[in-house]
Amino acid sequence: MTVMPTKVAHALERAWTGWRPERHSHGNVGQRFDFAFPVQRHWGARVAFYLYLGGTGAGFVFLEVLLRWFGVLGERTAAVGMWLGLALALLSILAIFDHLGPVVRWSAYFAFRRPRTSWISRGVIIVTTLVLLRLLVALPTAPGAGGLPWAEGTVLGTLLRALVIACALAFMFYSGLVISSWNAIAFWNTPLLSVLFVGFSFLGGLAALPAIAWVVEGLPAMRGVGAVVWPYVLALLAANGIVLALYIHGMSTATRPARVSVRMLLEGPVRRRFIGGVVVLGLLAPAVVVTSEVIGLLGGDIGAAVLLTGAIAAIEVGGYFLRDVVLRVGVYGPPV
Amino acid sequence: MTRMGFTIDLERCVGCQACVIACKVENGTPRNIHWMRVLEKEVGEFPDARRTFTPVRCNHCANPPCVQACPTGAFVQRDDGVVLIHDDVCVGTMACLTACPYYVPVRYDGGGGYFGRQLTMYEDTKLSRHREGTAQKCHFCYQRLDAGRPPACVEACPADALNYGDLDDPDSVVNHLLQRRRHFRPREELGTDPSLFYLVGNGGGSVGGMDQGEAR
Repeated sequence: MTVMPTKVAHALERAWTGWRPERHSHGNVGQRFDFAFPVQRHWGARVAFYLYLGGTGAGFVFLEVLLRWFGVLGERTAAVGMWLGLALALLSILAIFDHLGPVVRWSAYFAFRRPRTSWISRGVIIVTTLVLLRLLVALPTAPGAGGLPWAEGTVLGTLLRALVIACALAFMFYSGLVISSWNAIAFWNTPLLSVLFVGFSFLGGLAALPAIAWVVEGLPAMRGVGAVVWPYVLALLAANGIVLALYIHGMSTATRPARVSVRMLLEGPVRRRFIGGVVVLGLLAPAVVVTSEVIGLLGGDIGAAVLLTGAIAAIEVGGYFLRDVVLRVGVYGPPV
Repeated sequence: MTRMGFTIDLERCVGCQACVIACKVENGTPRNIHWMRVLEKEVGEFPDARRTFTPVRCNHCANPPCVQACPTGAFVQRDDGVVLIHDDVCVGTMACLTACPYYVPVRYDGGGGYFGRQLTMYEDTKLSRHREGTAQKCHFCYQRLDAGRPPACVEACPADALNYGDLDDPDSVVNHLLQRRRHFRPREELGTDPSLFYLVGNGGGSVGGMDQGEAR
């Protein structure tokens, strides 16, 4: 069974990335034959983008469907949130296929073949199902398609929305499970990582909703959505901070490769990205701004809205950096 | 049932790297890619310093994480336990690279030969067996096994440090060695059920100068 003629795949690959045969091979290559704690290098920025975009996109879709159900979000804000969530999910699919290899990009269907054992297969199936289901749910709102039997308020429509929520939740968990399921890298091999990624996915999705409401429906809508959302954002910031601290502490007392990862995180080249990007920018700074809003210090003027939007941007950047640093400090143990 | 296994005698290995070269010649692996490696470590201090050698290769685990992680089904396990990659199905996802705790699989992305982009006739012939953009690893020289010959690394070892055989056959060489010698398997605690055993004789459980507990 052949995936695709190699020459065709390579010609497409050259057109896409300028790939040439002199590119280095991946994995444990080279001339050093010594014992070490090698850092994994093949899961980098593109996988971090995939995990961030997929997780946050799923968070968007989950919350947009749920909050629209409970009447917190206006119809237009929910619609924009949905399209944004779908766009993020689609971008995440592009990011993972761009990462997956010079041939798989052009034979993507092969990544769907082994959902029984492979988390990558499960992930691409879940995120593709999520996108297709959400588009199906949105179909009755299209001009001329109002008569479809799964419009908002129908039994079938409610069932489809519940499925969308289940898929979104599954993908948020998946983004952590895909790396925590493998015990090759001790720093990833904990269920706490899934909890952490789900928390950051919810946070990324929830925090952005007031900004979308501002852009779509104006400042009063932002205040309306924010009145409901900000306390939850604050709670999520606190919960994520606690889970992150527990995760780092747990790993700092775990096996030696995990301790090496923690040392790299706190003292190595990614320490600025972790401490500055994840802890300060992604958690502490937004927590200060959102707390000020929740206790009523900020007021309701445009300056406060800009400050809150800045906090939202910081949360999103912190969410990406979290995935990025977790991947970059993945360390294997010795092979023996 | 047959389950092919492998023993490596750490007391006999002299670090000559003959297995590494034999593997390279047999399989024509690309530049910088070695399916067999002999890890070295210096231990102790002068005048008691010594160098230890630990050959490592694919362990052909009975519960292989690479097979489970591969989304395309390119990794398969034969009935005799040998784990193979079908490079016409592999699309280079690198899931196996991340999943394998022994970081054995590599993805070959080209890179020319040992003398630059212009390949020698030998390299041209050997490299034509390897498909760019796909994963590769030790396949237990299955073509030799099927012909009744030992893997190239075993055949080349001058110190008889490497042996192979059917772990399910009580009369096989490997089972005789395992009955006589102290042994352990690499990172067994991860549940991969490797088919490779390190024989440590009476010298205790140190590998490459690294106490096993130190690595955990």
